Amino acid sequence: MNKTMLALSCAVFSISFAGGALAKDKTIGVSWSNFQEERWKTDEAAMKAAIEAAGDKYISADAQSSAAKQLTDVEALISQGANALIILAQDASAIGPAVEKAVNEGIPVVGYDRLIENENAFYLTFDNKEVGRMQAREVFKVQPEGNYAFIKGSSSDPNADFLFSGQMEVLKEAIDSGKVKNVGEAYTDGWLPANAQKNMEQILTANNNDIDAVVASNDGTAGGVVAALSAQGMAGIPVSGQDGDHAALNRVALGTQTVSVWKDARELGKNAAEIASALADGTEMSAIANAVKFTTPGGKEVDAVFLTPVPITKDNLNVVVDAGWISKEALCQGVDAGKVAVCD
Amino acid sequence: MRSSLLLRPFTVALVLLAISHPSYAEDDITIPHFIEETAASGIDSIYEGEWEFMVGGGVATFDCNADGFPDALLAGGASPARFFRNVSAQGGPLRFVAQESGLELEAVSGAYPLDIDSDGNRDVVLLRVGENVLMRGLGGCRFERANEAWGFDGGDAWSTAFAATWERGAAFPTLAIGNYIDRAQEAFPWGSCTDNWLHRPASDGEPRFAEPLPLRPSYCALSMLFTDWNRSSTPDLRVSNDREYYKGGQEQLWRIPPDEAPVLYGEKDGWKRLLIWGMGIASYDLDFDGYPEYFLTSMADNKLQTLASVDAGKPQPVYADIAFAKGATAHRPYIGDDVKPSTAWHTQFEDVDNDGLVDLFIAKGNVAEMPDFAAEDPNNLLLQQADGRFKEVGDKAGMGSTAISRGAALADFNLDGQLDLLVVNRWKPAQLWRNEGTEGNWVGLELRQAGPNREAIGSWIETRRGDKIMRREISVGGGHASGHLGWWHLGLGADRQAELRVVWPDGEAGAWQRVESGRFHIIERGRPTVVWNPS
Repeated sequence: MNKTMLALSCAVFSISFAGGALAKDKTIGVSWSNFQEERWKTDEAAMKAAIEAAGDKYISADAQSSAAKQLTDVEALISQGANALIILAQDASAIGPAVEKAVNEGIPVVGYDRLIENENAFYLTFDNKEVGRMQAREVFKVQPEGNYAFIKGSSSDPNADFLFSGQMEVLKEAIDSGKVKNVGEAYTDGWLPANAQKNMEQILTANNNDIDAVVASNDGTAGGVVAALSAQGMAGIPVSGQDGDHAALNRVALGTQTVSVWKDARELGKNAAEIASALADGTEMSAIANAVKFTTPGGKEVDAVFLTPVPITKDNLNVVVDAGWISKEALCQGVDAGKVAVCD
Repeated sequence: MRSSLLLRPFTVALVLLAISHPSYAEDDITIPHFIEETAASGIDSIYEGEWEFMVGGGVATFDCNADGFPDALLAGGASPARFFRNVSAQGGPLRFVAQESGLELEAVSGAYPLDIDSDGNRDVVLLRVGENVLMRGLGGCRFERANEAWGFDGGDAWSTAFAATWERGAAFPTLAIGNYIDRAQEAFPWGSCTDNWLHRPASDGEPRFAEPLPLRPSYCALSMLFTDWNRSSTPDLRVSNDREYYKGGQEQLWRIPPDEAPVLYGEKDGWKRLLIWGMGIASYDLDFDGYPEYFLTSMADNKLQTLASVDAGKPQPVYADIAFAKGATAHRPYIGDDVKPSTAWHTQFEDVDNDGLVDLFIAKGNVAEMPDFAAEDPNNLLLQQADGRFKEVGDKAGMGSTAISRGAALADFNLDGQLDLLVVNRWKPAQLWRNEGTEGNWVGLELRQAGPNREAIGSWIETRRGDKIMRREISVGGGHASGHLGWWHLGLGADRQAELRVVWPDGEAGAWQRVESGRFHIIERGRPTVVWNPS
């Protein structure tokens, strides 16, 4: 019953458009799934800025978490003259009729952050496989051998498997050679920290605490892992995460978490605006800069852009402070002087 | 669309009403007031337990001591179920006493009353995490295990849904039981949906069940309902499924032809693939076309389905979702500042304000601590307005509890003609509200027929109001793990008499008759209707 957890997140990766002079005075319609959720405000600001900077008009609708309302929202955006649509789907299995209507009227659709199972919808999100690679890479850097535990995401979230496959890609060689040993892996129901903690406790017990590193798939589960490790006096062994959660960034500063992979919502918003504008100008989906073909879990081939996130470790914590993502106070709470540069 | 005879409730009489009644009007609707009487009522029960009890949490309401007042059995999950005998006085405060009944089993997730052997003593079906148990009613609210006597294989599953019917000509009922995920797969439950079962009568005509028939494929059912969706007089089986755990599943409608194997309706029949976190089913003919609408609870949007294809009088199983158009999506909390989507469970259509239009109750509550869903998720009361749209009044009516709710029952516990509300909560005490009601007229009806299916499950009560006929299908099943058997309630608005008839389960229609409002009537097939009064 829990739903796909969409790790809010971030990145620093820009794409630039092939396309010369673009037509102005277009209308870009954005359909939000639930705009009252705080996390979309950042996306919207970046999206709006990019749309207006191009001389175009931003219009939007808020489905308020209702997939049924979102269908009528999209119709309303179309009737208001949208030349392209950016859709953050409330329910990817229910948005189909709205996408079909747009496509029938020649209006391009960008699926924003959440996949829309339709060949005619462009897909823009962060590269979750790369997130997984980054997690494993940073942990492997500090712990190139030993017993690894894997705390995966919710099994019902396709992202959980993308992440895990990225992690395995990086570690495959070390696992094959026997340097790294996978001594336990578990999905985390609902991505809940409490479930991650329970799973970590079981893995510790099964291995007599002989664990050298933990690849956790997001910051929430990393929090559960660190709690389980602390209870055994083992806090400080390498642990990964993602999302740039404030508590996790603080753990990175404290040294109890190795990495939090951060996805910059501003990049996602800006790119969506630019892609929507290019598509409205008639650019083919496959001609969008950096576009790749992506096969959806439902077996459809869509054009997609995957933005690259940024691994935040104790060596580059300044990035999140400089971006205004977290205050220095929150980041550095409890950090001893002289340990972390940005905190001094 | 609607006849003006479906009166808007009494805005004209409001000045007078305000003196004697706490209900009040807003935008031309009168809102009934629910007074919480949990503490004084004697009902004291908590649905306990961890993972295996994240769903379920039902209540069965039925009279088992022949005094006409509905008694209640509440599922306890990891704790024993608790039975409460209703000792309320007519029109008085709601009062119950806990009483040993024989039903106090552990691991009960849901409960439905049903007179399985048609002996006049209602029996109880206990859905469990583990073996399901049929409890035979002995009278005086005493029950005994009857799995062996009735040849019932209770299995060993995580049972979460129930529906009952009497197939044509059968002396014994057919029971459908929905099962959830394989509870041995706690580490990886996804895709482990277990078989639902159809318990049909034994072929030798003895009052026993045959070996259960698996209903494959099964997709983690959380609600089932036998319903005559196409008015063929052969009810089919609707199954609402939880998309969180199935792989490749969808909502289901099984054709259940008597003496034949069940057949799933599919795309060739027009059945459209719908994926929801299906938790509960309620049905009622809302648009007076003779065919029921279905309300399906889920996470975020709930669905209100109307039959969309009737070709030359022959309905096809094609449904359109009209929840948004009717204001019934109820997809997120309507009070508080939690803007995340809701999680909906038990649901029931009943006329709580006696204006002649059924209203809609929805129990709400997070699974546990799902971070993407509302934590403070109030129960809904959606009043149907004269234009057929629904209006949320849960907070104003006083029953918008934010406890983690699961099963529930709208039932008239003090026989005053106003439907009260009992809600089972996960990890928190169940709650009970007395409905102070409105001035609208009402009747309470019980149905009887000789022989099997004594309480005529599968009948339709038709009430003529102006140029419209309101139709209520009598069923045991649906909701979320919760069932009712006993008085069927009809609101009548300003009508002082109800003009009604019963279409019996075999399709035979009784004669139209007029009965007085404000009374309880027992309609026995082929006999004059009698007024019933509490002794």
